[in-house]
Amino acid sequence: MSILEVKGLSKSFGDVKVLKDISFNVEQGQVVSIIGPSGSGKSTLLRCVNQLERADGGEITVDGMKMLTTREGKAVYANKKALREIRLKIGLVFQNFNLFPHKSVMQNIIEAPVHVLKKNKQEAIEEANELLKKMGLTGKEKAYPCELSGGQQQRVSIARALALKPELLFFDEPTSALDPELTGEILKVIQELAKEKMTMVIVTHEMEFARDVSNHVIFMDGGYIVEEGDPSSLFGNTRNERTKQFLKRYKGMS
Amino acid sequence: MNFEQVLNVSKILLEYLPNTLKLFFFTLLFSIPLGAVVTWLKRCRFKPVSWLTNFYILIMRGTPLMLQIVAAYYAIPMIVKGAKDSAAASGSQAGGFIEFLDNCMHSENYMFVTLVVAFALNYAAYFAEIFRGGLESIPVGQYEAASMLGMTKAQTFFRIILPQVVKRVIPATSNEVIVLVKDTSLATIIAYAEIMLKAKQMMNTYSSIVPLFIAGLFYFVMNAIVTVAFVLIEKHYNYYR
Repeated sequence: MSILEVKGLSKSFGDVKVLKDISFNVEQGQVVSIIGPSGSGKSTLLRCVNQLERADGGEITVDGMKMLTTREGKAVYANKKALREIRLKIGLVFQNFNLFPHKSVMQNIIEAPVHVLKKNKQEAIEEANELLKKMGLTGKEKAYPCELSGGQQQRVSIARALALKPELLFFDEPTSALDPELTGEILKVIQELAKEKMTMVIVTHEMEFARDVSNHVIFMDGGYIVEEGDPSSLFGNTRNERTKQFLKRYKGMS
Repeated sequence: MNFEQVLNVSKILLEYLPNTLKLFFFTLLFSIPLGAVVTWLKRCRFKPVSWLTNFYILIMRGTPLMLQIVAAYYAIPMIVKGAKDSAAASGSQAGGFIEFLDNCMHSENYMFVTLVVAFALNYAAYFAEIFRGGLESIPVGQYEAASMLGMTKAQTFFRIILPQVVKRVIPATSNEVIVLVKDTSLATIIAYAEIMLKAKQMMNTYSSIVPLFIAGLFYFVMNAIVTVAFVLIEKHYNYYR
């Protein structure tokens, strides 16, 4: 059974159709990259799956739980309790981190385990220390986000998402707000997580990274999934004209 | 004026300082929570409530506080008296409540209560706009991050949003508090016995402008203290940006 199933998802902002009939699955342990030009609907897709936007129609199933169904052409969401449970199965790492500036690194990470999962604080701190070690941030637990580099902030936000032990972790252009030097450290962390069989969906503009780390790539354009497949075939010898065009322009830039 | 007279004026003004301070503190005590409530009402999704709140803010900020004080002190008793008379004339049952209001008007605290009500309602409108500005300056990403972590609306507000709003509204709030220190002198218009009123009286007694300067010094010192207090509060919140 797929951990995430999306079927016929659609979403409009006013008259603008941003997502048109999006369907894809994510399997346990898979690393999926979503690529495509700006305005192709990548971020909106991710935000719909994460309940940050309400879709207009389609179906979303997370870990066997129906989050969204469509009845008689109308989007029907699961009840509040189920939505909350589903939300906790999914972690999200934002493009601009969205750390809580008034809380220290440690407080940022244990906030949800302690106040949402009602975990014992000492236990949460121990787990947070483990995560910080994994992120190479040992010794930074008392620092505030403003005292950290962008790369460090992003690693804290990854640790914060992981502290809830999600089944599925989403990244919304996790390196777009970072300068190229700091991009590498985030990609390394994601690579580490991939090795541990963490299920991840990554919206990214880092083509090389998408090719190296993911085992499934989705190319979106104009609100549709134009093409999807394993990275070697999609990046190596795609037949699709639109994909070719996009990748060519990308190569030209770098 | 000789030195002894200056000392005497200062002593008398000092005697009336508590009245000024009482008005200042009671206004803060009520206007800040009220301001928060007004912010909340203004953001109410039920439009009529939001409109009504806007109207209230418009009136409070759009007319002089001095006028509002006079209106509260003279107009309300007149209205109550008018209601009492007409109730008496028609012999209606509403007389009990109006009687109660009329008794309030004659209580010895009436002047002070009127002042606090007028000041608090006026300042709440300003505070409400400051708080709204602070609230709306918090990036939407903070709400989204909290929601992704499964936090409830109440948790998000009290644990994530509010602490950040408090930091952001401190500079604007300190401005308003400094103005309030000086605005307490408006109470002199209904002859509330505070520093300004006494200073004016002593200007007449001594035929000198010096009492006015001494009063000015009082306000200046009060505001110096307020300023230092806010600098300390700002420092306290400086541990993050």
